[in-house]
Amino acid sequence: MKKRSYRNPVGVGKYTGLLLIMPFIIGFSAFTLYPFAASFVLGLTDYDGVHSPGFIGADNFADMLAGSEFRGAVWTTLKYTLVLVPLKLAVSLLAAVLLNAEIKGMGVYRTIFYVPSILGSNLAIVIMWQFLFTSGGLADQIMESVGLPAIGWYGSSGSAMAIIVLLRLWEFGSAMILFLNALRDIPAEYYDAAKVDGCGRIRAFFRITLPLLGRVMFLNLVLQTIAAMQEFSAPYMITGGGPMKSTYTIGMLIYDEMFRFHNVGYANAVSWAFFVLVTAIVLVLFAVTRRRRGEDT
Amino acid sequence: MKKLPLYILLTAAAVVMIYPLLWLVGASFKSNEEIFSSAWFVPSSIDLSVYVRAWRTVTPYTMGHYFLNTFLIIVPKTVFAVVSSVLVAYGFARFDFPLKRLFFALLMGSMFMPAIVTVTPLYMLWSRLGLHDTYVPLTLPALFAAEGAFVFMLVQFFRGVPREFDEAARIDGCGSLRLLVYILVPCIRPVIVSITVFTFLWTMNDFLTPLIMISSVEKYPLSLILRLSADSTGDGYELRKIIAMSVIGLIPSAVVFAAAQKRFIGGITEGGLSG
Amino acid sequence: MKKLFVYLAAIGCITALSACGSGKTAKFTPPDGKLDKCSLRFSWWGGDDRHEATLAALKLWEQKHPDITIIPEYGGWDGWTEKVSSQISGGTAPDVMQVNYDWLVSLSPEGDGFYDLGLLADRLDLSVFDDEVLSFGRMNGKLNAVTVSVSGRGLFYNSETFRKCGVSYPETWSELLAAGEKMSAQGCCPLDLDIQSGSTAWYLAVVYVQQQTGRQFVTMDGELGFTEDDVRAALDFYRELEDCGVTRTVRERANEDGNAALYQSPSFIDGRVGGVLEWGSSVGKYDMVLPEGTLTAGAFLRCDNGESGGWMIKPSVLYAISKDTEYPDEAAAFMDFMLSDPECAALLGTTRGIPASQRAEKALETGGLLGGLANDSDELLEELDTVTISPYMELPAVKELCNSAIEKVSYGKADTAQAAKELYTSAEEYLRKVRK
Repeated sequence: MKKRSYRNPVGVGKYTGLLLIMPFIIGFSAFTLYPFAASFVLGLTDYDGVHSPGFIGADNFADMLAGSEFRGAVWTTLKYTLVLVPLKLAVSLLAAVLLNAEIKGMGVYRTIFYVPSILGSNLAIVIMWQFLFTSGGLADQIMESVGLPAIGWYGSSGSAMAIIVLLRLWEFGSAMILFLNALRDIPAEYYDAAKVDGCGRIRAFFRITLPLLGRVMFLNLVLQTIAAMQEFSAPYMITGGGPMKSTYTIGMLIYDEMFRFHNVGYANAVSWAFFVLVTAIVLVLFAVTRRRRGEDT
Repeated sequence: MKKLPLYILLTAAAVVMIYPLLWLVGASFKSNEEIFSSAWFVPSSIDLSVYVRAWRTVTPYTMGHYFLNTFLIIVPKTVFAVVSSVLVAYGFARFDFPLKRLFFALLMGSMFMPAIVTVTPLYMLWSRLGLHDTYVPLTLPALFAAEGAFVFMLVQFFRGVPREFDEAARIDGCGSLRLLVYILVPCIRPVIVSITVFTFLWTMNDFLTPLIMISSVEKYPLSLILRLSADSTGDGYELRKIIAMSVIGLIPSAVVFAAAQKRFIGGITEGGLSG
Repeated sequence: MKKLFVYLAAIGCITALSACGSGKTAKFTPPDGKLDKCSLRFSWWGGDDRHEATLAALKLWEQKHPDITIIPEYGGWDGWTEKVSSQISGGTAPDVMQVNYDWLVSLSPEGDGFYDLGLLADRLDLSVFDDEVLSFGRMNGKLNAVTVSVSGRGLFYNSETFRKCGVSYPETWSELLAAGEKMSAQGCCPLDLDIQSGSTAWYLAVVYVQQQTGRQFVTMDGELGFTEDDVRAALDFYRELEDCGVTRTVRERANEDGNAALYQSPSFIDGRVGGVLEWGSSVGKYDMVLPEGTLTAGAFLRCDNGESGGWMIKPSVLYAISKDTEYPDEAAAFMDFMLSDPECAALLGTTRGIPASQRAEKALETGGLLGGLANDSDELLEELDTVTISPYMELPAVKELCNSAIEKVSYGKADTAQAAKELYTSAEEYLRKVRK
């Protein structure tokens, strides 16, 4: 028998693993490789959806880096991701901890907490946000009641970004479920032991819960980062990318160039640049957490 | 009574979370101008006939037909997605094999490309195979672990299962597949439930792929029907009907979630070694 | 095992490559002069009223032509362009399609993206259309599409708001500015102008400059007709509209309405915003949220010297036939039915605007089916010397450039000279690329 290690945990046989991931290999070759390759090739052309594509080398990439639009969208997307992801992890973890308590009617609460995530991009949300954040809306009334001046939410860049972050923050359901999945793995005895040691609930959370959630925290971090980087529909619906492009994400840029402006070649070039960017970020996330996770991938 | 503060906290948060849904139901009874002039959800009058009209749709079929269509997509897709993701994740989490890192990188990488870039080439692919306007493009990729996120989730949770479980089973002469089915899957059952629910909800909401792939009105899934009446370029529109349709469309998601939420938790020992 | 993997990988690659390499196999089918038994696919986008009316018209067609079955494909506007472009590039386009004006430029710049309807004149009666109307669907000399209806943006005012403010509807640009000053002092404004999908802010400014100079912003061939100074004059005029309180600034508008359409915003429903610049064919949704009879059509504004040109018209929707259709005769016969059959016209009403086909319009007139705001505005427009909007001006990318110039001016991020220069250069560059 081969020596067991993290690299070869407990699996037996060199090719069993390969056989198990065969569905992925087939699917990847059939459904991913071709669109990716097509996209890469198109990124080197001036394809506009109608005329036959002409090869223009790296011109699209040069245009992209020379213009302010791409850089602006990258910066906006990074800002958005950097603000949203930590907040969302914190909120969904808090919700999961609360919803993990064993009390009557918890099922109803869990369902209700997931409702905004079911609604997704429903029309209701667009209209709700309008009621909340337009002049004289609920948000302004709250500001006034605590003696702060009303903000023009939609009309200024920082606050427009804030209301989009709030929308996605409020849809924390998926991350919350993964935390709930993981919380159950923490044996109750740990907490009992902590109690005996005179450890308060909050300290127990930081001493026991949080360290044991490392793996799922990492999982949510990666998944939420990818989702935030690809953000399209929230700014599309809520702000239309404005004001002054301050909420115009790369997702919106790609959509516009692809479908509205028919710059298919350019859109594909941007997508590949975006792909490289996300890959780099995820690699960093993997690298900085590697030691803590103690795994090879 | 120790739990009272928790109840108060949860209830307050619940109101914030569910208000848009209440408002949506209320708005299905409001006239166009009433919808936009008040954030309060209670309508001035209740007339259920809007739901009857919504259920009928403008197409020759009722919404029941479109629910059925959606389920014809969701059921195979969910089964495919769960089975293939579990197998692939098991391979990545518990085995070593040549090019493992490369394949894992490809799996992660397949999540990074925006869907709108791949949808047109995929349409070309399916239409050349003559399979556009069928459910094959919507369901078949799931058989090949197309949702990298699910595999990634499962890999993380598989790794959370102590390896002693595997070793014990191996000593008892358990093969790789039996080990997976009888030992590991029960351990991560809540995660599998979660993936099922995610597939269900995401498929319910998915708009772009069916829009591009499906042309026949009789084959439309629900998500296309919900947008059928929304025409910002046109003239008249009755918002309450569009809203009533979306309320009807939310019911399955809410029911599925409510039914599944119990299974999101449950101790590891409960599903694990006891069996 | 390793062999299996290599084998499967190879299959995957071959599939991918063959899909990538194989050219389009679709071939052209010439008309054969007969109507055969067949089924045709017909696609359109719209709202409920259009869906219902069209489905009723299809029933009528089936009674008249039981041999030719029509398979309808329809949906909302969101994403419809993407769907149809994918179908066209995949060679799976429906036989008959409702198309948008700018698609002619983006999908058929050389006139070969759709079937040449000139070949189908036997089945498709073109004599019921004005030459000008027909020219809208011509690309590179080929008739690609036939106009279903013609529409122009008109001014519609909330009569109640104007009455309360003691202002009468403006007839000239200077009266509009005066109305703005008077009404803004009372917390209202006479007009809403947007920089979203409507881009009415730029539209009105263009009308003003076109009226004065007689030059068209973008010509029918896709060249810039405006000089840089004209562009600046348009931006200056917009500035003036804001300064006089004719319209809210872009920031105020965003703060008050969010990203919602005007007919979904309390400021319009409450009557604080007293007017809208909208296509006659789409004004119904504004009318619907105000008490009945409150919204009425206003005059098309003119200069103090009486010059009234510069207002624009365009086809609101057109019908086209797929270049890959196997049944061109049948498709043309069906299209003719949809465009001009009097019974069909009565069923369709004005769900696609007031018909451009004279026969269909007559049918509606005798049936007493014409009327309302759309018709009022249409009649006023007919008296004017109108300019046809270039499909190039309707391209989303061009609209985007104009909108962002207006936004920069409104937010004070650029003066009008800078913004004009930027808009002029980038629009010229983009148009050059599209014309190719």
